[in-house]
Amino acid sequence: MNTPVIATRKLVKEFVRANFHILALHEIDISIEAGAFFTLMGPSGSGKSTLLHLIAAMDRPTRGEIRVLGEDLRALSNRAIAQWRNRHIGFIFQSFNLIPVLSALENVELPLKLTDLSHRERWEHALTALELVGLADHADHLPGQLSGGQEQRVAIARAIVTDPDIILADEPTGNLDAEAAQEVLMLLSRLNREFGKTIVMVTHDPHAASYATEVRHLEKGELKAASSETP
Amino acid sequence: MVRYASLIAANALRNRRRSALTVASIAISLCLLAVLGAAYLALFGEPEASPAEALRLMTHHKVSITQPMPVSFEARIRQIPGVADAMVWQWFGGTYKDARDPRNFFARFAVEPARLFGIRSELRIPAGHRARFQQERTGCIAGRKLAARFAWKPGDRVTLLGDIFPVTLELTIAGIYDDPNNDEILYFNYEYLRELLKAEDAGPDQVGVFIVQVKSLDAVIPVADAIDKEFENSTAPTETVTERAWQLSFLSFLGNLKLFLSSICGALGFTVLLVCANTISMAVRERIREVGIMKTLGFRPGTLVALTIAESTCLALAGGAIGLGLAEILCVMVQSSGTAYAALNLRITAEVALASCAAAVALGVGSSALPAWQASRMNILDALRHTG
Repeated sequence: MNTPVIATRKLVKEFVRANFHILALHEIDISIEAGAFFTLMGPSGSGKSTLLHLIAAMDRPTRGEIRVLGEDLRALSNRAIAQWRNRHIGFIFQSFNLIPVLSALENVELPLKLTDLSHRERWEHALTALELVGLADHADHLPGQLSGGQEQRVAIARAIVTDPDIILADEPTGNLDAEAAQEVLMLLSRLNREFGKTIVMVTHDPHAASYATEVRHLEKGELKAASSETP
Repeated sequence: MVRYASLIAANALRNRRRSALTVASIAISLCLLAVLGAAYLALFGEPEASPAEALRLMTHHKVSITQPMPVSFEARIRQIPGVADAMVWQWFGGTYKDARDPRNFFARFAVEPARLFGIRSELRIPAGHRARFQQERTGCIAGRKLAARFAWKPGDRVTLLGDIFPVTLELTIAGIYDDPNNDEILYFNYEYLRELLKAEDAGPDQVGVFIVQVKSLDAVIPVADAIDKEFENSTAPTETVTERAWQLSFLSFLGNLKLFLSSICGALGFTVLLVCANTISMAVRERIREVGIMKTLGFRPGTLVALTIAESTCLALAGGAIGLGLAEILCVMVQSSGTAYAALNLRITAEVALASCAAAVALGVGSSALPAWQASRMNILDALRHTG
């Protein structure tokens, strides 16, 4: 049995909004192995994105344990977390979140600016990532000059350019038409199968979930019983 | 920070119209600041007094320079130990041509030609011009810049209509001199003025100022004290000051000009700081979502603050550079205007340029530090949810 790269134990996340306590996640126990394509499904407000944010250390849990790549995220300082995220996590947003004034190549290069790579090496890496997603010929295009599907592929290139261990995707096909969504899902699947990337994807689209090796459902902050699925 | 240059440039030029307006407002403000700075330096920057200047004292009535003193004081001043020489230094005023045109204004002093070149040893004049000035009762000499302004040459006639004195001077240009300190003065013979005043019975033996040359630097203060003591109980008690102090005393007529200039500079700087802070705040607010994205990618708050400050500083420096250029043009225009302001000798010195650059940097940092810090401290998820 593989070592889990993501493991949570009785993970709780509460939000306080105007004196109201909202329980977003209730005692979540999950274990995701290296190389898995793990999908979290559930209706809006079920806590899927919250769990994804906790895995990416973009937020801190209220209670419980969370270990990612063997690291106890609660013990890391904000400074250490930023560095850790840059090295180990690639994040794909539903709304692409590219920097509009930077070209596709510059957007992909952005995370590499935090590394020790030279300018030339950064551009080579970024171009390789763009080639991987089939957009090398669009390197000079600004996000506004790309279609939604192309933007998401640039975002995927940005997520993989640092060669992270884990790719987290928050509704990556949510803003795309069926054809573009298909391309993105095939790309994620390829990254998982050919490059061994562990992928955790949040979606409420059953078709998107069909690409995963493991699908779990969240409802009202509680994780439903496990079931394994293969594409 | 070099590796982020493209990102800083892209962000600075993101909203070109707003950036251009920001740069323009900084440029105009810093142009004014630089010109005011140049004026401040011209007025209060105290250059080293030349050896000749350091040995000169000015003696005037203790009450005011407008109060006259008996011309007989001159001989008594010369008797005081430590005094090398002394002469009359009489402001004439008057008008040349059309008094309504400020370009016709220049300084006119009645002096003693035989003593002038000894006391003001920095004056350079051809021997022939000097001799003619000393020989001709109605002769006068003009500084090279002044002569160039009115295209005067030796032999030309200059008529000055008196206002303080009820006489009209009909002068002839005897020569052109060079003075490294101020070559925009016209000197004429005091004896000529005295004769005209005698004819008009208009107080010919009263003068406003004596210029005194002291033998040595050590004697300057004792001589000044001795002169004032000499006339302490006379009908016209005196006040004797160094030439430098004398020049600065004219500024006191304008009130507390130092405070006035400093206040304008301060108000201008503060206003443009608020304008810039508002612009940068707006720019940062629009980009809060991007702050969230960059934090997700691993950027630390400190880096994000530095990027915003660098962007703001680049805009401020661009504005500062344009402002300095405009200020230089303005100073050149004032210099060549031929008005009394030209005498201020406004120049954008290295000191003023450096101070302006420092002001631009301070503006860039000061206007962006707080909004940048606030944005960088935002929780990633709050920043990503931001829809500003």
